[in-house]
Amino acid sequence: MEKLPLALAYDLSKVVPYKTGSWRTLMPINIMQTPPCTNSCPAGNDIRGFLRVLAEKQDYEKAWHVLTRTNPLPATCGRVCPHPCEAGCNRRDFDTPLAINSAERAVGDYGLEYNLKHKKLISKRKEKVAVVGSGPAGLSCAFHLAKRGFQLKIYEANSEPGGWMRYGIPSYRLPNFILKQEIEKILELGIELECNVKIGVNIPMDNLTQHYNAVFLGLGAQMGTSIKIPGEDAQNVLTGVAFLKLINSGQIVEVGRNVIVVGGGNTAMDCARVAKRLGANVSVFYRRTRVEMPAITAEIDEAMEERIMFRYHTNPLKIITDEDRVVGLLCEQMELKEPDASGRARPVPIEGSGSVYPADTVIMATGQAVDYDGIEIQKQNDQWISTNENLMTSIDGVFAGGDAVLGLETVAVAIGQGLRAASAIEDYIEGNVESQLAPPPVIYSKDLNTYYYTHEKRFSKKAVSIHTRLKNFREIYPSIDHQEIIKEAERCFSCGLCFYCGNCYMYCPDNAVKISPSTGRYEFDLDFCKGCGLCAKECPCHYIQMTLEK
Amino acid sequence: MLKQIEGSQAVADVVALCRPNVISAYPITPQTHIVEDLALIVGQGKLDAEFVNVESEFTAASVVLGASAAGARTYTATSSQGLLLMAEVIYCIAGMRLPIVLTCANRAISAPLSIWNDQQDSMAVRDAGWIQLFAEDNQEAADLHIQAYKIAEQTFLPVMVCMDGFILTHAFEPVDIPEQKQVDDFLPPFKPKHTVDPNFPLGIGLYADPRFYMETRYILHRAMEKSESVIKEISADFAKTFGRDSGGFIKTYKLEEADVAIVSMGSVVGTIKDFIDQLEEEGKKVGLLQICSYRPFPRQEIYNVLKDKMNIVVLEKCISLGRGGILASDIRWSFPRAEKKDRNISSFIAGLGGRNITVNYLRDMVERVEKEPVELGFLGLKKELIAEEDL
Amino acid sequence: MNAKTEELNRVEKKDLFDSGHRACGGCAQALAARLVHDAAGKNTIACVATGCLEVFSAPYPDPCWRIPFLHSLFENPSAVAAGVEVAYKALKKGPVNIIAQAGDGSTADIGFQSISGMFERGHNVLYVCYDNEAYMNTGVQRSSFTPYGAWTSTTPMLNKTRKKNLPMIAADHGIPYVATATVDDFRDLQRKVKTALSIEGPKYIHILAPCPLGWGHSGELTVQISRLAKDTGLFPIFEIIDGKVTNVKKIPVKVPVEEYLKPQGRFRFLFKKGVPTEEVAEIQKIANQNIERFNL
Repeated sequence: MEKLPLALAYDLSKVVPYKTGSWRTLMPINIMQTPPCTNSCPAGNDIRGFLRVLAEKQDYEKAWHVLTRTNPLPATCGRVCPHPCEAGCNRRDFDTPLAINSAERAVGDYGLEYNLKHKKLISKRKEKVAVVGSGPAGLSCAFHLAKRGFQLKIYEANSEPGGWMRYGIPSYRLPNFILKQEIEKILELGIELECNVKIGVNIPMDNLTQHYNAVFLGLGAQMGTSIKIPGEDAQNVLTGVAFLKLINSGQIVEVGRNVIVVGGGNTAMDCARVAKRLGANVSVFYRRTRVEMPAITAEIDEAMEERIMFRYHTNPLKIITDEDRVVGLLCEQMELKEPDASGRARPVPIEGSGSVYPADTVIMATGQAVDYDGIEIQKQNDQWISTNENLMTSIDGVFAGGDAVLGLETVAVAIGQGLRAASAIEDYIEGNVESQLAPPPVIYSKDLNTYYYTHEKRFSKKAVSIHTRLKNFREIYPSIDHQEIIKEAERCFSCGLCFYCGNCYMYCPDNAVKISPSTGRYEFDLDFCKGCGLCAKECPCHYIQMTLEK
Repeated sequence: MLKQIEGSQAVADVVALCRPNVISAYPITPQTHIVEDLALIVGQGKLDAEFVNVESEFTAASVVLGASAAGARTYTATSSQGLLLMAEVIYCIAGMRLPIVLTCANRAISAPLSIWNDQQDSMAVRDAGWIQLFAEDNQEAADLHIQAYKIAEQTFLPVMVCMDGFILTHAFEPVDIPEQKQVDDFLPPFKPKHTVDPNFPLGIGLYADPRFYMETRYILHRAMEKSESVIKEISADFAKTFGRDSGGFIKTYKLEEADVAIVSMGSVVGTIKDFIDQLEEEGKKVGLLQICSYRPFPRQEIYNVLKDKMNIVVLEKCISLGRGGILASDIRWSFPRAEKKDRNISSFIAGLGGRNITVNYLRDMVERVEKEPVELGFLGLKKELIAEEDL
Repeated sequence: MNAKTEELNRVEKKDLFDSGHRACGGCAQALAARLVHDAAGKNTIACVATGCLEVFSAPYPDPCWRIPFLHSLFENPSAVAAGVEVAYKALKKGPVNIIAQAGDGSTADIGFQSISGMFERGHNVLYVCYDNEAYMNTGVQRSSFTPYGAWTSTTPMLNKTRKKNLPMIAADHGIPYVATATVDDFRDLQRKVKTALSIEGPKYIHILAPCPLGWGHSGELTVQISRLAKDTGLFPIFEIIDGKVTNVKKIPVKVPVEEYLKPQGRFRFLFKKGVPTEEVAEIQKIANQNIERFNL
């Protein structure tokens, strides 16, 4: 035993600390939880991840790689996605949600500007997969499989890839060159693309199933459907799909002075705004009210800003023609009754309310369907392709996703399906039983200690003035300032993941939170932690939680 | 250099020669002149030290505790109530093994209030772990301070130099104040063993649980016992350097041939010596044992000089109320129990609260013990002042 | 921000008051002591009073201190620190930071005289009071810092007196720097320690130190209780520089005292079946007076 020093005066450099860890009944642990943004992102983007990289390291390149782990089209989604992530953002209960969509666009644009390249995870495998359709679902599926080393070939019926993104979305929302560059990056993974080939017409389906280990159908829903009213066959009555395709193919369309767009979806909004840019007075006719409109809110807002007329409760009965040309639209007024099967209020006509509205062009944006020409496949409701939970169709080895399966959905949803299909296809080819780990639980506002966050103004993107924007088809939101986005990223709560605020480190009365010399992360020194729970209580993002001592 | 000066001045001068770095004290009669003189010495720049005027003796002791723990040579002085107010710190200083030197100008304890001399105050802290040295006269008081620093800094035990209030502190006597160089040669600079120093962090004053407390007290007790040799050695060294005997353990006066041995300490021994001389002329053989080091208590030395004495009388200026003589108890304890059952050890209390101890009282005491042993006697007690039932 | 401000605002973690002490879980005094000494840095001598801090931090042979530690008695850390200071001056050593420190009982009651002396004599010592509003080391007995309405083991019928206002008393000694702080705002606390140590002369910092055991709240709430003490106005945060109250911390959103009282067991008698008694109104009055006096 050590002899007692003079008056117990002890050399403090020789102290062997007394271990207080045994006092503990509860212990702190780090639990990475799913943030609500990611939980509400159909593409499953690691939103917290890329925002943290921006906030902590100001590293756009790394942020781009984080984002493109799930989504190969960030510049595109950053423009067209209705961003359900922002609706999920826990900051909504504090001040305003993060401008995630703008951040995504900034990161996507950075990737294009600096020509960043996707990296393959596995270099090469012999298995081949065919993807039919180069819309977001097909591109996403091909991208994820190509990264995993599979040999991919995409068949595209149109002359250019992109699907609805190329032929449906107008360029003031998504400039063609942006989409083109993002697709090129995907193809650079070694994906073969063949355009102007319609599977089922130019090449039989069987060919694909024979020559490829698996097939993914990302057919989209680009066939305009009619509501079957008299006069639909008149010369200047167009479906929304046809109208947008003409415009996006660079053709000149004479719409005349008065344009009526029928419908309340995104296609209707796009048609109306395009027609406005062609110089027409545009009205949108919709059977119900704004509340029931399926279009993205922002699109409706922007259409209104652009002085497009909205006529609600208005149902077209007949197209009035003079010879072959439309001159007007006969409509009746509707009133809303109890909801129908879709959950929306059911419109019922008001007797004797018919009136005629003058029109030089009528665009029927009332519905879209899959073009099944030459493809025999099991469907549900005669409309959308049926798949099992792994997105496999009735044909063995043939998978499907995107609008053709879901009905009309967003780009992000299609990208998410592409990713899911890619995993399912990989499992199918490898003969694995698909085993998905349940994602960690979602973290909500009530779990956060928001004391440590400060109220900060949300980034808002600046639109070109309405006067200017209506003159052309240029993008209405010009480029986004990278510095401002970094400031915006700093607003991220980092729900469920440490963001190095240092509270645990500074507040531990036992000095039992250390910085790991190897990882630089905070770690608990369980030799000394007494389990008081102060760190967990003061952890802003709920990354630290208390659990029963083992 | 021989100077006709007040005892307090002598002590102040000598303390200054010991070059303390920090002096802190609170005024109390009869200690005041010592610290006033030191304040002047420091104020005049004759001594490079920090003089800290504090708001209590408790703080004075605490300040020198802190200063000593920071490596300074320190000094404080007090008396009576002041020492009692310090008591908590007094114990602490010893337990922390800080070589502090304190002058106790011995004075009675309240109540009733008395500013006059006895030795009850230092007796109250005799068990604290301080070396207690009692001065006979002002020369010895001065000399003991020089020795005290050397003893304290060798043993890491605090030293209390006790000198009778007024009788010594306020008396003018010729005192030889040494030269600075003599003191510097005799007393090397303080080399602390444990200090608060950020370059070498120590934990001083740690808490001891039952696993360690008893050992620390045992070690302190052993340190007190072991200081006996240091005290003797330094006293001998002092005699060699300065040419006079001062301090040490015990001194005797005409004891060898004595039939009656008087044991006492402090300034009263001067009176006793005169009295012994008187008795000698009358043909009576009375001798003196003077205790200089009360703590550590020189039991063996005492035994050696008293072992053949069959009639011993202890005279002291303090009392353990409800028990009797304090020094007497210590003396009685100095003899193995089985030895010489017919040895008489009498105990007398005298001089409490400044009551004079006259030769007549001493004569009365000796005559009484020659007849029979006295368990507990009081010299000069005025029975006429005491109610019948209290006698 | 200039270099000096940056230095003052930097958060310090130096492990000078390290793991291995025996404080209860969630002890604010342990936390405060760590923050204080990490801010002060290595060139510091800690002079500590007997009390919780000394007992849990400095048992032989495994004290948690990594800077020189000196303990003597309950009521004398300020005098001991003064002694260390004069010794350094006399020995021409230093400069060194000297921090005398104690709980509220030592500071406000038994050591009050020593502190007053240390202030008045002008020693270059920082005195830190960890105020947990009762004698916690001996089992929650009342001190003169115990607030109105609190239960302690020696005020079983609740304390009827108000806290002694030591920051003001300290300031009236004419010392150059006085501040109050809480552990929840560690940046502010450490800035005050550094500011104090940059000033020559006696300094006083009063830190509220919630005691989970004595106050009857769970250890995890220590930071939040500290914050509530501020946000109710019961513990005003300010500095007094050369006698002038300054840098008063404004309360962002004023909180009724009930929210501070309710999570604490020592105030449980102030609510009868959840309904506040008259004492709560009295405590609210105290808070309001503080709010008015310091313009919180």
